[in-house]
Amino acid sequence: MKSIRKNELYRPRMMTFLVFASICMYGCSEPIDEGGVRGVTDDTIVIGSWGPLTGPAALWGAVGRGIEAYFEMINEQGGIHGRQIEFVLRDDAYQPSRTVAAVREMVERDRVFAFVAGVGTAPGRAVVDYIMENEVVWVSPATGATHWAYPPRKYLFAQYTPYFDEAAVLVDYVVNELGKTRIGVIYQNDDFGESGLVGAQVALEKHGLNVAEAVSVEVPDTDLSSHAVRLRESGAEAVLMWLTPRHATIIVGAVGRLGYEPQWLASSVLADTELMYDLTEGAWEGVIFAAIGELANSAHPLIEQYREASARIAPEERASEFFLSGFRYAEPLVEGLRRAGRDLTTESLVAALESLDGFQGIGAPLTYTTNRRQGTRATFLARTIDGEHAERLTDWLESGVDIEQVIQRLEGSN
Amino acid sequence: MLPQVLASGLSAGSIYALMALALVITYKTTEVPNFAQGDMAMVSAFIAYMFLTDFETGFIFAFGAALVFAFLLGVGFEVLLLRRMRKPTHLNLIIMTLGFTLALFGFAGWKWGADQRQFPFPVSANEVIRFGSVSISTLSVATILIAGILMLLVFAFFRFTKLGVAMQATQQDPIAARINGVPARAVVGLTFGISSVIGTVAALLTAPLITLDPTLMWDALLKGFAAAVLGGLNTPVGAVLGGYLLGVIENLFGAYISVEFKSVVAFLIIVIVLWFRPSGLFGRHHERKV
Repeated sequence: MKSIRKNELYRPRMMTFLVFASICMYGCSEPIDEGGVRGVTDDTIVIGSWGPLTGPAALWGAVGRGIEAYFEMINEQGGIHGRQIEFVLRDDAYQPSRTVAAVREMVERDRVFAFVAGVGTAPGRAVVDYIMENEVVWVSPATGATHWAYPPRKYLFAQYTPYFDEAAVLVDYVVNELGKTRIGVIYQNDDFGESGLVGAQVALEKHGLNVAEAVSVEVPDTDLSSHAVRLRESGAEAVLMWLTPRHATIIVGAVGRLGYEPQWLASSVLADTELMYDLTEGAWEGVIFAAIGELANSAHPLIEQYREASARIAPEERASEFFLSGFRYAEPLVEGLRRAGRDLTTESLVAALESLDGFQGIGAPLTYTTNRRQGTRATFLARTIDGEHAERLTDWLESGVDIEQVIQRLEGSN
Repeated sequence: MLPQVLASGLSAGSIYALMALALVITYKTTEVPNFAQGDMAMVSAFIAYMFLTDFETGFIFAFGAALVFAFLLGVGFEVLLLRRMRKPTHLNLIIMTLGFTLALFGFAGWKWGADQRQFPFPVSANEVIRFGSVSISTLSVATILIAGILMLLVFAFFRFTKLGVAMQATQQDPIAARINGVPARAVVGLTFGISSVIGTVAALLTAPLITLDPTLMWDALLKGFAAAVLGGLNTPVGAVLGGYLLGVIENLFGAYISVEFKSVVAFLIIVIVLWFRPSGLFGRHHERKV
């Protein structure tokens, strides 16, 4: 009985039927684009994104949920030119192979009109060519790598200030304002960490200085005692850390136990002051960090509006830096959609985004032109105080570092 | 600088030694490394965290509850999953442990999320005691002491109690043990329970140092496994010594030679050791069970 059933599958008529049925089902699930613009109907615009909602990097899943809350707020206000935003958020668990599958599905099945954010350098690099080939607009990759806007690509609009710029601004500040000359670096041994190291090196060279000691951390490392000893032996007065929250917690503890007290300098990845104070049991005091968006506790009117909206729309979420960064990534996209008007096409959105000139939400002022696709390279500095929050130290600053030089060094080291 | 580095090595080594011991005692009964060891301990640590923060119980109650949970989890894993397999091969069992670890990891991510959390603990990683030029945190002192005492207890248990001897008998030859009246099946379940408790102690000591999240025990499991291979997978004492040795070598290498290759050096040593002594530094030559 069993074998007969199996054979039936190979009958030509049966096969034809199956193939036909599957094509039919696939075809039916595809939304029909009105007026021929993918992802845009009379009353909706489909926007896609991806992020690690599960897996070891799920801490950054908050970015996608922040975007979702922001779009919901925009929809509550009546949407954009009579259209509501439909947001598609896919989980890639920070695995590039899954990002590729998720993005293909969003382009081919969900028919998204544009992408926003998307967490992580490696996942982003895995899909950037595919997205560009399909002529889908992608605004604000959620990573400070240099791969997005150099060279510029027509449909890609980067917002995140490059990591090396943050490092250079931090180094300039401690050398010029605090008069420190011995600077150490502890960095994660990957693209992200090396950007911090190279930024520090280039900035120090301008002052005629060198990095006092550079120690690298591998992602699975949990014992950083010998890193701490190495930093102390180097006599570094300030130490720049380009690490994840876990490694930052471990190294601050290990260095503190040695009775060694350098001025800590941290990247924007560690800007969640509340979290860092909690993890380090208060040892996060006095850390100077780079920020690329208004702080979560600031009295900026937009931050207040966003905090109020997230308390209402997503009451279970903490309005952390990562969550609010979702709002920041989506701001220029929404502004672009507004400026593009009711006649929305990919080309009209590109033109609208290119018209942004000093547009500012809760991030730095953004400017795009026909051949400038990095909206900003500015960052500001803040210092943690009073065991709970951060005070702003500077206005938006630019490092003035030559980006070509940095890219060459980063490529040379790989 | 040297005494400081040795102290750090000993503290890291204590965790590796606990994980190595936990792995070895189940390995000896099943001849399969339990890759779920780390995540079983991680989930148990989350149980302690839940009691401490959600129900605001004291440390003794919370840690006690975590250890009881760990014991039941270990026994349950063996009785409900491993034992149910029909004609298990080594490969089947390994895949089962891998599957279980994925399930636990997913569960923890779903239940508690992936955010790093500060794990409350009676002594602090930032409170320092100084012995001459050596500064060591109260947490490290506690880690070294607790790990040492626990391991002595485990060895005493195996050597001096009837149950412990029965366990050893089962590990050596389950059939002969059964003929001599040892309830071998129950003993195997119990072994997994004890192993899970030992792993959980390691997790409870690790969490306050490196923050709690679902990846808590990844490094510890890997290093514990390495330590066990280094010392000898069939000798609990060897595995424990392997753990301490690994912690100290890593820290010496990191401080004096290269921080960059600190983690890699452990595995390099293992390759070299296995080349010359396939049963590990302290292992006796391995004979297959029939």
